[in-house]
Amino acid sequence: MSEPLSRIPNGMRYYFGHEARLRRRVEQTVMSVFEGWSYDEITTPTVDYYSLFEHGMGRSEAHRAFRFTDTDGRLLALRPDVTSGVARAAVTMFAERERPLRLCYAAPVFRQQPQSHTEWRRESTQTGCELMGADSSAADVEVLAIASEILQHLGLDDNYLITLNDVGIFNGIAKRLALDVGPRDEMRQLVDSRNAADLERFLVHHKFAAEERKALGQLTQLSGKRETLESARRVITNVTSGEALERLERLWLIIERLDLAKHFEIDLGDVARLDYYTGLTFNIYVNGAAARVGSGGRYDGLTSAFGKSEPAVGFVLDLDALTTILLTRQEDSSFPQDRERKMSHISSGDPSILFSEAMKKRAEGKRVLINFDEVNR
Amino acid sequence: MTELTIAIAKGRLQTETLDLLSLAGISISSEMLASRRLAVEDESGRYRFIFVKPDDVPVYVEHGIADCGVVGRDVLLESEADVLQRLTLEIGSCQMVIAASEDIPLTGYGRLRVATRYPRITAQYFGSRGLPVEIIQLAGSVEVAPLLGLADCIVDLVQTGRTLRENGLRVVEVIAESTARLVINRASYQLKAEAVAGLIGSLSETRPQGEAT
Repeated sequence: MSEPLSRIPNGMRYYFGHEARLRRRVEQTVMSVFEGWSYDEITTPTVDYYSLFEHGMGRSEAHRAFRFTDTDGRLLALRPDVTSGVARAAVTMFAERERPLRLCYAAPVFRQQPQSHTEWRRESTQTGCELMGADSSAADVEVLAIASEILQHLGLDDNYLITLNDVGIFNGIAKRLALDVGPRDEMRQLVDSRNAADLERFLVHHKFAAEERKALGQLTQLSGKRETLESARRVITNVTSGEALERLERLWLIIERLDLAKHFEIDLGDVARLDYYTGLTFNIYVNGAAARVGSGGRYDGLTSAFGKSEPAVGFVLDLDALTTILLTRQEDSSFPQDRERKMSHISSGDPSILFSEAMKKRAEGKRVLINFDEVNR
Repeated sequence: MTELTIAIAKGRLQTETLDLLSLAGISISSEMLASRRLAVEDESGRYRFIFVKPDDVPVYVEHGIADCGVVGRDVLLESEADVLQRLTLEIGSCQMVIAASEDIPLTGYGRLRVATRYPRITAQYFGSRGLPVEIIQLAGSVEVAPLLGLADCIVDLVQTGRTLRENGLRVVEVIAESTARLVINRASYQLKAEAVAGLIGSLSETRPQGEAT
């Protein structure tokens, strides 16, 4: 039986009217903040080799892409993320450019398989930035400051929270346990879902010492402000984790001095993508959204897949999620509302008079609406 | 203004959940419970409760309609919901088992027919052991499937084992232990951190002494 033409594929949708205008304005607001911090816009190819994303995102994430073959049989994919393409450009096209490189984008990405039940869209628009070639904590602060400014400009100043972690904390503990890939990922999932009970069972099963059990158990529970770091220091003793804690503490002090501490929290249980990030990780939450609206971090290992290792930090925001929040918050949002849609209604029997009038109004920057009813045929 | 919305699984787990909450100092008046309202509040007015089918608890929590929920681990394993499982509760204890009419070996079949209400858990378990299975999904009364010749064995949730015995089945293997969990929406966990911590604190205090987290 043939599909009815009226049917829309799963996870695809239309945008129109007020929502489409709002969405466009959110994108402009975000991009203007990036521009204000001297980030250059870049657009990556919509269709690219699958292997790019396999190296750039890791296999498990890249697998979610729409895939198809090129005329020569090579596997292609509809862009499931923008960062992979940007990283390749940084070490190839922009190899000779002065560092740091500051790049930003707003582009649709496509994912055939959703990651969670709330993520029903298979096409969504990502907007984000990448700061490449700078490995100082100052670079980390820069992208966090940009994220804060964006949320502030969207009128969400009292409604957002950015959680911070450093993957070195978990990795330092996991390294001492010397687990295979499978069990290590199981352990990561248990920490990430804050599942202390099953984590304890897992660690006992693998006969790990009380010290590691206590440290890992704490990771599922420690979140909060500066005191979180002090609590962590008491249970986490290995060198790698200790260095990561110090990095996080330095970052936290700067955030406090910038008077941004009320918008930030430390969350040591966030270990969602350890194969990707190498230092700082963060998630952005906004009241009114059931899942995070953005995420980012440091991924110093990414560009090495394309031939040259380079430090990098960046983040991505889900433009559709932000638009949905602003749509439902219309009244109490300070984000500028839809302009009043005033327009000049123009009608005339003579098409040349009609359009010379209309073009005059347009030259004045006015909105016009042509009425064809009186045009002589 | 309520602080948190909590989804409660209707049925088997409901009474135990309400008893546990009342032990934690969170009680719903009997008038409220009898009112058949869609959402009821506890006596302090801090919590709002919605009562939904067990399978739907993770759905409401993942979509953030409920900040938290109380639901069995079996449901969570089957739904693969992306929610936080911060606290194990000492209620709703049961086992996910493979059961058959005789002690059949699980290996050596070209294809083992398994009847279940839990196709994902079943596929995952047999898959990880590299055993080919034909999964036959049923909506209920799974224990009669082997008797009627529909399946070689079943994967089902067992509380006392009585239903199994009555149908001439015995446990061949335990796949997982299950108790109820307090599940939390990822965004609520961050944005309503204080309220969530308060709820976790109250529920933790109901635990028997010396129990590990």
